[in-house]
Amino acid sequence: MQELTFKVQRYLPGKDKKAYIQQFTVPLRQGMTVLDGLIYIKENVDNTLSFRSSCRMGICGSCGMFINNFPMLACHTPVEELGTDRIEVRSLPNFPVIRDLVADLDLLFEKHKSIKPYIISPDTEEAEEPTAEFLQSGEELEGYVQFAYCVKCGLCMAACPTVATDALFPGPQSLGQAYRYCTDRRDAGVEERFHQADSRHGVWLCHLAGACSEACPKGVDPALAIQLLKRAMVFDSLRLKKKKKPASIAQPLAESKPKIDVPEFTVKQP
Amino acid sequence: MRETRLKILQYITGIGLFFLVGTHLIVSLLSSGEPTSWESVSGRAASAGWLALFIFLLIFGLYHGIHGLRTIIMELSIPKLPAKVLDWTLLVIGLAIFGYAVYIPINAFL
Repeated sequence: MQELTFKVQRYLPGKDKKAYIQQFTVPLRQGMTVLDGLIYIKENVDNTLSFRSSCRMGICGSCGMFINNFPMLACHTPVEELGTDRIEVRSLPNFPVIRDLVADLDLLFEKHKSIKPYIISPDTEEAEEPTAEFLQSGEELEGYVQFAYCVKCGLCMAACPTVATDALFPGPQSLGQAYRYCTDRRDAGVEERFHQADSRHGVWLCHLAGACSEACPKGVDPALAIQLLKRAMVFDSLRLKKKKKPASIAQPLAESKPKIDVPEFTVKQP
Repeated sequence: MRETRLKILQYITGIGLFFLVGTHLIVSLLSSGEPTSWESVSGRAASAGWLALFIFLLIFGLYHGIHGLRTIIMELSIPKLPAKVLDWTLLVIGLAIFGYAVYIPINAFL
C-alpha cells in the first residue's frame, strides 16, 4: 500500500515555546483528501492533534490550513492533486495559533463586522416591521451574487501580502464584503462603508497581488471586488457616481392578483 | 474620502508625468545641437513654455514621489510614528524642495 508522509505543525500553548513539525505516515486511499489524512492521524496515531473541520464538503470554511505553502481547505484538497507524497500542513499564516492547526480567526470576524456586513435599510420603519419583500431584478442580483458566496474561511486573508505587513489593513474578505453590500440596491450604507474603507490603512493599500482570488475556494474573487470598490469610491469622490434607486417594496399579497387561476375541482365535492 | 482624493491625484500626476517627462526627454534628445550646452540651457531658460513645463514637471514629480514614499512608510507600520507627524514632515519637505527648485528656473527666466 502506498503511504503518504504528513508533516504537521504542532503547538500546545503553555507547553511549547514555538511551533514545531511532527511527521506521520498515513496510508493512501483513493479519493483521499488532506482532511481525511488528518482524521486518520487523529483516530489512529495521535488523538491530541487539533484541527477544525465540520462539513467536509467545502461549504462551512472551517478547515482552512496552509498546505504545502498554500492556503487551502483541507476537505477540498485531494492529496493526489498535490502531486507529491510529502504533505506539509501548518496553521493559516497572518493569524495567531490557538493550538496545532487551529488558527484564531477573531481578527477576521472583527474586521468583517467593522464594515457592517448586513443590509442597512433606508426605511427604518420598514426594516423594523417589514410589510413585504424588496424587489430585485436578476441583473441586480448578478452584480453582487459572486461576492455573496464568501464562507469566511480566512484563506484570502492568509494569502494576502498586505495583511502580512499591515495589521490594520481590513483585508480582502471584509473589503470584498463591503463592495458586496454597497452594490446591493436594498442597502443604504454606502457612505458608512466608504468612510471605513477610505482610512489610511484602508482599501488603497491593496497592491492587487491577486493572491486572495487565487486562494479563494469559492470563486468569490475578492481582488475584483476590491478593484470595483476602488472604482466606486473614485467615482463617488469625483461626484460621478450614479445614484442607485432604492429597491421598491413588493405589493402586499392582499392587493396582488394571483398569477395563476386556481383550477376548478375535477372531483365532485361531497 | 481624503485618501481616495489623494490617490486620484496620484493617478493624475502619474499620467501627467508620462507626458511631461516624455515631452522633456523627446525635445531634449531630438533637439539639434548639444542639449546640455550653454546656448541650449540658456535658450530654454528664457522660454516661458519651458519654464511652465519645468514647474509642472516639478509639481507632478514631487507630489507623485512624496505620496508614493508616504504609502511605503505607512505600509511599514512603524508603531511609534504618528500619522499626522508623517504627513506634516513630508509636506514640509515637499514644499522646501519645491521652493528651492522653482527658484532656479524662475530666476533664470527673469
